[in-house]
Amino acid sequence: MRGRPAWLWILLVIAAVGTVPLLIADAFFLRLFTEALMWIGLAITWDLMAGYIGYLNFGHGVFFGVGAYTAALLITKGGWPFWPALALGGLAAGLVALVSGWPTLRLRGAYFAIGTWALNRAVGQVALVLDFTGGPDGMRLPPFLHPQFFAYVMLGVVGATFLILWLLLEQAPFGLKLKAIREDESGSLAIGLNPAWLKLQAFVLSAVPTGILGGVYAYWITFIDPSSTLGDLITDQAVVMAIFGGLGTLIGPVIGAVLFFSFKTYFWAYLSDYQVLYLIILGLAIAATVFFLPDGFWGTVANRWEGRRALRKGLSLGQAAGT
Amino acid sequence: MLALLPQAIIDGVLLGGIYLTVAMGFSLAFGVLHIIDFAVGEWIMLGAFIGLIFTKWLGVDALLSLPVVFVIFAVVGWLLQPLLHRVLSGSRGRPVLMGLVFTFGLALAFRGSALTVFGIFTHSLDTVLSQGSWHLDWGPFFLTVPLIRLAGLVYALAVILGFNYLLKRTDFGLAVRAVAQNKEAAGLMGVDVNRTSAAVYGLYVGISAMTGVFIGAIVSLNAGMGPDLSIFAFFVVVLAGMGYLAGVPWAAFLLGLIQSFFLIYFNPSHVLLALFSILYLILLISPTGMFRKGV
Repeated sequence: MRGRPAWLWILLVIAAVGTVPLLIADAFFLRLFTEALMWIGLAITWDLMAGYIGYLNFGHGVFFGVGAYTAALLITKGGWPFWPALALGGLAAGLVALVSGWPTLRLRGAYFAIGTWALNRAVGQVALVLDFTGGPDGMRLPPFLHPQFFAYVMLGVVGATFLILWLLLEQAPFGLKLKAIREDESGSLAIGLNPAWLKLQAFVLSAVPTGILGGVYAYWITFIDPSSTLGDLITDQAVVMAIFGGLGTLIGPVIGAVLFFSFKTYFWAYLSDYQVLYLIILGLAIAATVFFLPDGFWGTVANRWEGRRALRKGLSLGQAAGT
Repeated sequence: MLALLPQAIIDGVLLGGIYLTVAMGFSLAFGVLHIIDFAVGEWIMLGAFIGLIFTKWLGVDALLSLPVVFVIFAVVGWLLQPLLHRVLSGSRGRPVLMGLVFTFGLALAFRGSALTVFGIFTHSLDTVLSQGSWHLDWGPFFLTVPLIRLAGLVYALAVILGFNYLLKRTDFGLAVRAVAQNKEAAGLMGVDVNRTSAAVYGLYVGISAMTGVFIGAIVSLNAGMGPDLSIFAFFVVVLAGMGYLAGVPWAAFLLGLIQSFFLIYFNPSHVLLALFSILYLILLISPTGMFRKGV
């Protein structure tokens, strides 16, 4: 990768992925393509909290749902056009993260996981009992049937998110600071970092793209209800994708999302009679990954790779010294 | 409205007793194994269903299934604990969180299995006590105490006393307390840490499942009830302070009271919403519980 900057490679990959909707115009395929991109976005934003800071956010779906409902309300009730509604959806999710994160992020470890889980269920209940959200009946949006448009919007949002997260987490010192919190929160405070402020920044950073994804989803699917946007399944699937791919990297969740989404599609296509079976597989996949591959798919591959390279380097050094 | 006040209080206390048993086991498991079990509600749900199967199959009273359910689930917990131990002592940086994710996966798998096998319908467990109730009239006030709820309280007290005896008066209890205080030191003093941990987990799973039979008899049971019950258990344990056993009864009764007051005076469909909000606020104000004695 030396010689050519890595961001160029990322842009090239995004552009290459962008040619796919041009080549294959099949509506069903485009739908899968768009949804796969959405899950990539959800998995990497979840991993920002879980993998980089070590805070398991079991309420990630809140941001998705808040973004979806905000955009949907603005479009249907306010008559707003799509783009500003989308931006405001992201903003609303960021605001929720700011307000809820300010106190909850003081909670460590398991408390944070439980607190966010409770938040998710509480927000889901609010959407169920309120009138203007349509309660359990959900909301319908004006249909805009243009699969390629949504494929590109999703690609743009997810690609931009990936690039921004990559710059911030892998290039800027921000990522190292977050990892310092993950390794030892009190220690990071001792060396002069401000964990509370950094965590809040990261929390908002993970919320805004998720809210935008929710807004795109609402306009794309044209129907949202509490269970599809605020249900446990949003968070659950993002969790399994990120963990299966490998926490603490950006590429891991992407791989996990693609692999798991392919499996999910295959499952729904051939075994849709056994819907609840999906829950079992989802659960067992999470448990088995934690048990057998605690570093995730990508982490395990990368470790082996590193090990082999280090071994080869060591051998050649040894030979040089020996002769 | 005031006439219903004693009813609300009694209902709350009787319901709180039921939550108390689950929260005790949960708190003990956290204190000894440092495991936060996302699957606690699923153990309750599965216990209730095994009780239902047993009752239907043999045509006996549901209360007779209690020891059977306890034994089955204690064995399951005993067998599962080594897996949890491996996850919790992994090389990855944050084993507690990995344990949380692991039990989260188990919970999903259990719920999915139950939905597959038992369907989405709501059942109820029948016992001889289901129909009977006590009526009290006292001026403008009146009170109805279903016998099965009373039996639930008796059961809860029995479990608490049993816990107390086990922890304070037996060698096993001494070992448990030693492991909770310091694993390495307990091991050096000759305590078999692995066996003690497995036994504690088995005890916790068994009691949770047994409580499921009571919840099935008092309220109802369906395959999707796990998450709400998990939230209840978390609510009690977090309110009491994680690992602080003495706070558990107060938190459990408070939960029962909140639930019964919402059921009688407010909209029952807001019960969960209220609990979630309160849980959330408590976590914000005092992460170590209302006595500030948790971990």
